[in-house]
Amino acid sequence: MNNNPYNPAVRDCFGSPDHAGTAAGGIVAFFEDQGMRIRLSANVRNSIITELRFLVWGCPHVIAATETFCRQFEGRPVAELELFETDQIMQDLAVPVEKTGRILVLEDTVRSLRAAIQDRLLSKPD
Amino acid sequence: MSGAGNLIYLDFAATTPLDPQVAERMRDVQANAWFNPSSNHPGGRISTAVIKVAAGQLASLLNVNPATLIWTSGATEADNLAIMGTAKQREHRGKHLLTMRTEHKAVVDVFRALERRGFDVTWLEPEADGHLPIERFRAALREDTQLASIMHVNNETGAIQDIAAIGAVCKQHGVVFHVDGAQAAGKMPFDLTNLPVDLYSLTAHKFYGPKGVGALYVAEGTPLDPLMFGGGQQRRLRPGTLAVDLIAGLGEAAAVAAVSIERDLAHLTALREQLLAGIQNIEGLQINGPEQDGYPGILNVGVNDIEGESLLLALEPLCVATGSACNSQSQEPSYVLRALGRSDQQAQSAIRFSLGRPTTRKDIETAIKLYCRGVEKLRNLAPEAVA
Repeated sequence: MNNNPYNPAVRDCFGSPDHAGTAAGGIVAFFEDQGMRIRLSANVRNSIITELRFLVWGCPHVIAATETFCRQFEGRPVAELELFETDQIMQDLAVPVEKTGRILVLEDTVRSLRAAIQDRLLSKPD
Repeated sequence: MSGAGNLIYLDFAATTPLDPQVAERMRDVQANAWFNPSSNHPGGRISTAVIKVAAGQLASLLNVNPATLIWTSGATEADNLAIMGTAKQREHRGKHLLTMRTEHKAVVDVFRALERRGFDVTWLEPEADGHLPIERFRAALREDTQLASIMHVNNETGAIQDIAAIGAVCKQHGVVFHVDGAQAAGKMPFDLTNLPVDLYSLTAHKFYGPKGVGALYVAEGTPLDPLMFGGGQQRRLRPGTLAVDLIAGLGEAAAVAAVSIERDLAHLTALREQLLAGIQNIEGLQINGPEQDGYPGILNVGVNDIEGESLLLALEPLCVATGSACNSQSQEPSYVLRALGRSDQQAQSAIRFSLGRPTTRKDIETAIKLYCRGVEKLRNLAPEAVA
């Protein structure tokens, strides 16, 4: 077993999950797979993600990956959600390869969030 | 604080630190009695005398004849020698063997290996608190049963098996009875001469002795085949040059235990009560193992809807064990807790606190604070499950 399975970035995100919670009145995406549950919620104004929050039932790497995603994409245009890449997060957090499937659950949740935001914008432009 | 730096060590069922008296004895032996005890010269006789002292110390703790003790590298080797050696020795009489699903891997894997060699193993299920009812054991016996192996104290739950009753049934049926005592020797008082036990495995590092040394008690008249060959040491049952300093350390640890067991038990009982009182109001808390009559140095608890790996990280700098297979890359739930009827998720969220001689009330206060805080944090972080 790896003597230190969590790098400083994982410890920082796990120890200070600043984006944990729910964006009140926000758009929600939820995914459950691989024994993990991820819920993302976002508020959008002028096509900018003004608030991004998460809830996770999962291992430290999944919690850290989701917090990292929120830190990176809060304040950015909705369109940039397409730029989200699990490879980079896996590398930054040194996620063990056997947890790849768990990180893909995050990818699915992000895709689902993007689709939900686009649906909302089409039906009710901000 | 019982640990290095800012660590709070509550994993004494995994291993214990060397008792200072043990360390001093080992240093003395390393400096002055490092000879090969098989050598027929004055130096060899000095080391032989050290071995005799250690055998006397361990024999005194267990109340056995020193000649019944075989030195090994630890409990794993002792378990292998006892189980494999008995199975091979009695194979011509029958191939049925009995053990429990909740045994340590050092026992489970030996029986798995014997199954692959054609032996028929019955895996007994415990009750929800870890105990094995004697009637269940008796009902599993067959005409061709040759060996039963039941652990004394379970390493994950602290459940204590009634080895006196099980051994008595074995005696009635002519079945050899082996006990894995890795979590009991040096930690609980018992008298092997007056227990119906044929083989008893133990290891030094679980009771403040060194790692790398253990012993197997082989009751007089218990035939056993060796697993290794290469010399005539130890009645040809376990050849190889004896590790004099380690054996001296084991002996000294036994001597320390002999005078401190009762005090240790009282200390551990008070600490366990303090720990349980501090966390028992957590909603959904479940005790994995006996609530009252288990070994007081172990408290295994789980909570609903908490991910075990995250809880373990949230508990740092506590050193505790999880209900997942901590010795592997996998996050497989503990097979011991699964055998107690826990779900995968319950088993995966389990934390084993194991307390020891150096544990303080302040350590427990910190553990309570960290555990309560960790559970609350992860519960707040978790989304509702979708039905």
